[in-house]
Amino acid sequence: MRLNPFGKSGKSGKRDVRLPERESYRERDRTAEALDLQLVSLAASGDDSAFTTLVTRFQPAVFRWALMFAADPDEAEDITQEVFVRTYRQLGSYRADGSVEAWLYRVTRRAATQMRRTRRRRGRLALSPAARPLHDVYTTDPGGRVDRERAAIVIRELFAELPRRQREIFDLVDLQGFSPSEAAERTGLKPVSVRANLFKARKAIREGLLATHPSYRELSR
Amino acid sequence: MMTCEQCLSELTTGSLREMSSDSPVMLHCASCPDCSHLTTLLRDREYNAANVLNSLPPMSNPVTLAETSVRTAQRRRIGNVVVMLSGAALVVTIWLAAANTIIPAMNSSEMGARKTLRTETISLQCLSPQQAADVISPYIREAGSTYYLPTSGISAITVRGSPGELAKARDLIKQFEPDAGAACRAPVASLGKLMDQLAEAQSGVRQSAPVSGKTPTAPKK
Repeated sequence: MRLNPFGKSGKSGKRDVRLPERESYRERDRTAEALDLQLVSLAASGDDSAFTTLVTRFQPAVFRWALMFAADPDEAEDITQEVFVRTYRQLGSYRADGSVEAWLYRVTRRAATQMRRTRRRRGRLALSPAARPLHDVYTTDPGGRVDRERAAIVIRELFAELPRRQREIFDLVDLQGFSPSEAAERTGLKPVSVRANLFKARKAIREGLLATHPSYRELSR
Repeated sequence: MMTCEQCLSELTTGSLREMSSDSPVMLHCASCPDCSHLTTLLRDREYNAANVLNSLPPMSNPVTLAETSVRTAQRRRIGNVVVMLSGAALVVTIWLAAANTIIPAMNSSEMGARKTLRTETISLQCLSPQQAADVISPYIREAGSTYYLPTSGISAITVRGSPGELAKARDLIKQFEPDAGAACRAPVASLGKLMDQLAEAQSGVRQSAPVSGKTPTAPKK
């Protein structure tokens, strides 16, 4: 589970021009992987506390992955819930030939895709006035609410126009810091396809971001 | 030295993370305020996006999430069993309905087809039509079944009956065709008797014949 891949220099608080070295998930602590496997096998044998530990350990990562597939954080929450329901049901069929994290990523992908299809089918129903909620969902934490709104704006701004695959690849490589080959391994794509999707995504996103800048408009004529 | 256009082109698809301070883009940015500003803008936007997305915590409590996942998974498992049992019950119901309604209906229609009468003319080699009629008559009993004897002397019999009756008639005729009492053999038997009688008669005439050797003449009336 890696979070912010962009580094900041410690002394001045100014952002370092050089970005930090990418941590390879292959070189992750072997002990942690062994622990994950042990948790999965315990949970598969019916130990609910092991499953709770597994959820506690992977919930932030799964939620982060879900964010890139979802339109907003609330949808990401739903996807996260669905991922752990599926994980619990598939514990018995888990093969220990890969990391638990990669397996959970695949489960997240499938769950997100399926939920999106379901939502699209139900979209027509949601358009009817009776189906709309009267009030917004109230969040008790105002700070958290602001963060979630910002996240929703970021998702919409960055990813709105991107196809799902490009969005996924851009997020994995440029925002989460995985290498293209690691992204390829996770998504099941060829590294060449990952790079092609990455270039397309960068082009779309950066052109969108830069389009508002006058000097860019001047230069790009 | 890189031009602004080359720099923009590089920025559109290049990896900001992989641009070190001595890279051509950064060297160009060091001398070009516009491109430097654009690069900073891009980096800021992507940094902010990654920061917002990566630092956004999931709202749900992991313990509650795990419990809900376990409950939902178990409920779905039960749901699946119910669906499977319902499916099996549906299959059994359909099978029973088929066994009690559809198959008998099909059988009755088959019976109806079996009861449809057919007409067939069976040629006779040895039996006379009357003899054939004598043989098959007890077996042509169903309603509408009958047989026709040709009046023109042709050696055949026309039978109208169910397929079973026709098959039986054919078998019987085939069975009795080589019989010694069949019509074609009757003249041979009569001829034998006649020959015997003639031989006896001839022997009696020889005994009473005159010595002169004249042929006997019929007595004068």
